[in-house]
Amino acid sequence: MSTSDPHALESRLVSAGVERLALLGKHAETLMAGYTCDEVPLEGLSTTALNRLLAARILWRPDEQGGVKLAPKVRELIAEMLADETRRHVNADVAETLELVRTLVQSYREARDAGEYWRQEQQLLRLRQEVDDLNGRFADAIDSLWRRLNSDFGFVSRLGDKIRENERAQKQIVRLLDGLALIDFDELIELVGSDGALRKLLVSGLQQQLTHHFTSLREVQRRLIELMARFRQQQSRSRLVAGMVGFLREHPNFVPGNYALRSEVPELINRAAPIMPAGAVALDHDADARLAAELLHRLPRPASRPEAVTAAGAAQLPEDTRVAARQQALKEDVEGFYLTVVDHDGEGLSALEYLQGSGLEWDEEIWLFQVISEYQGLPRSEQRAFRLRQVETQASPFNHLYLIHDVQLQLAPPA
Amino acid sequence: MIEHGPLLERLLAGDFICAVSDETAFRHLQDEAIRERIDAYLRPLNRRLATNTDASVYFLAWLRLDESAREQLSRQLGDTVGSLMPMLEWLQLVQEALGRDGLAAPGDVLKPADFSSRCEDHQGLRERLERLASDPFFGSQSDQLDAQLKQVFKRLKEHGYLQQPHAERQYYVVTGKIDYLIDLVRFIRDEENLPIDDQTATQQTLL
Repeated sequence: MSTSDPHALESRLVSAGVERLALLGKHAETLMAGYTCDEVPLEGLSTTALNRLLAARILWRPDEQGGVKLAPKVRELIAEMLADETRRHVNADVAETLELVRTLVQSYREARDAGEYWRQEQQLLRLRQEVDDLNGRFADAIDSLWRRLNSDFGFVSRLGDKIRENERAQKQIVRLLDGLALIDFDELIELVGSDGALRKLLVSGLQQQLTHHFTSLREVQRRLIELMARFRQQQSRSRLVAGMVGFLREHPNFVPGNYALRSEVPELINRAAPIMPAGAVALDHDADARLAAELLHRLPRPASRPEAVTAAGAAQLPEDTRVAARQQALKEDVEGFYLTVVDHDGEGLSALEYLQGSGLEWDEEIWLFQVISEYQGLPRSEQRAFRLRQVETQASPFNHLYLIHDVQLQLAPPA
Repeated sequence: MIEHGPLLERLLAGDFICAVSDETAFRHLQDEAIRERIDAYLRPLNRRLATNTDASVYFLAWLRLDESAREQLSRQLGDTVGSLMPMLEWLQLVQEALGRDGLAAPGDVLKPADFSSRCEDHQGLRERLERLASDPFFGSQSDQLDAQLKQVFKRLKEHGYLQQPHAERQYYVVTGKIDYLIDLVRFIRDEENLPIDDQTATQQTLL
């Protein structure tokens, strides 16, 4: 084999690949129409274009009479690109990859032993691609599973469909785990022998990645089972309620037994009567009474209502009137004292003596206070007609606080 | 015990405590040591903590059942059974109106506005809501859609099936009391051997 041939082959492959990939873009709309419908619409496709698409195995014709459809790989590619979970396939196909790996390792060894470095490189590249593909397939599958899980299978609307989708996902996980189990690292170690590059690729690297996939798959599996339990519970509740509604409609006079009269009252039925905050919690036991008191202290105060304010206002009114009346009576009695002073012809009168002599029942302090304030309330001109003397003592030698014991009031001598 | 005062108070008032109605209190109630202390406190009040099948909601039960307790339980059971049909119909209405997969579950948010827009578009739903709202359990007298919805939500809130996080905002959260109601329905079905099947065919074949 000459070295120029593979290069020529490679460049031919590249140009054909570019040409065919371009077909996907060129006919994107038609192809997407084929993705969403059963068949690819042929209007707008020339015979040449159709033949090219068929030759590129983008489209295929299942039978001579039938229409043209998307090739399964193209459908998968689109589903994968769109993360369209209804159609995304989960397929790790480990067995075939392993078979291929064995073949490639064999060719790689032969090339190495023959000293054909270019071919050796090519085989290593293909091996690397195969391992990457295997990883990619697991990663895609796990991604697809997570997406479905995180959206609560939102791409189907009915609960029944969600349950079926969940079951399907769980089966996929089992297949993926089975696939992982096919990879026997003892065999791979033996296969790679002492070759460092192969060991790194097929043993250490792969092992690390597969361990990661395994952990992810177990986690998704656990979550799927949890979600399934929730779906089942939801479904069972809906059915229970629908069933009970149906039954009660058919039997409007249905009355269940009085479970409260059974010797063993069922747990669910036993709901103690509420204790109202105002209720008397009669507890003779000190400790209990204390706890009850604690509890009562914590009871919320009843929210005051607007009516309550009005009611309080009405109750306030007579109280105010009574105070005002007493105030007026005091004022009148003090005025009486002033008139007596006027009648007394300039002789000083003690306010306290007058109070005691008159049989009035005012508190002495209030009386004196009123006498003084009456004096201060007089207009200047009338104030001058009286002389008010306070009988007072210093409360303590250390300050200037004076205590008033009495007041003497007399008419001022005419100026 | 003082720190559980508000919780005890709610329990004594007949409230159901779940992760939605009072998350902190519910977390406390999941602690067996705290449950024991609360039970010890409740003993003189002739009450104890009780829970539903999945332990998703707590409430108080009688410790000893005397004649008056049994009477109260009979009355209460009668009330609950009386409210069963409107409650279950409401659950179905929610499921259909909002296009949900399952019944309203604890933590689900419900907005009266969503119902009114669905009912306005859909005469069938509108009629069912109207029938439901005028049921004595909900007791709406109005013929206006919004007033009916308001009354239905108000009653559900009063009965503890819904919680309104903000008094001025019109959205409600389904509480764990719904779980209790469903458990009760299942219980009645089992006790009375009612021909109601809640398992799917595939589940039966699996079993």
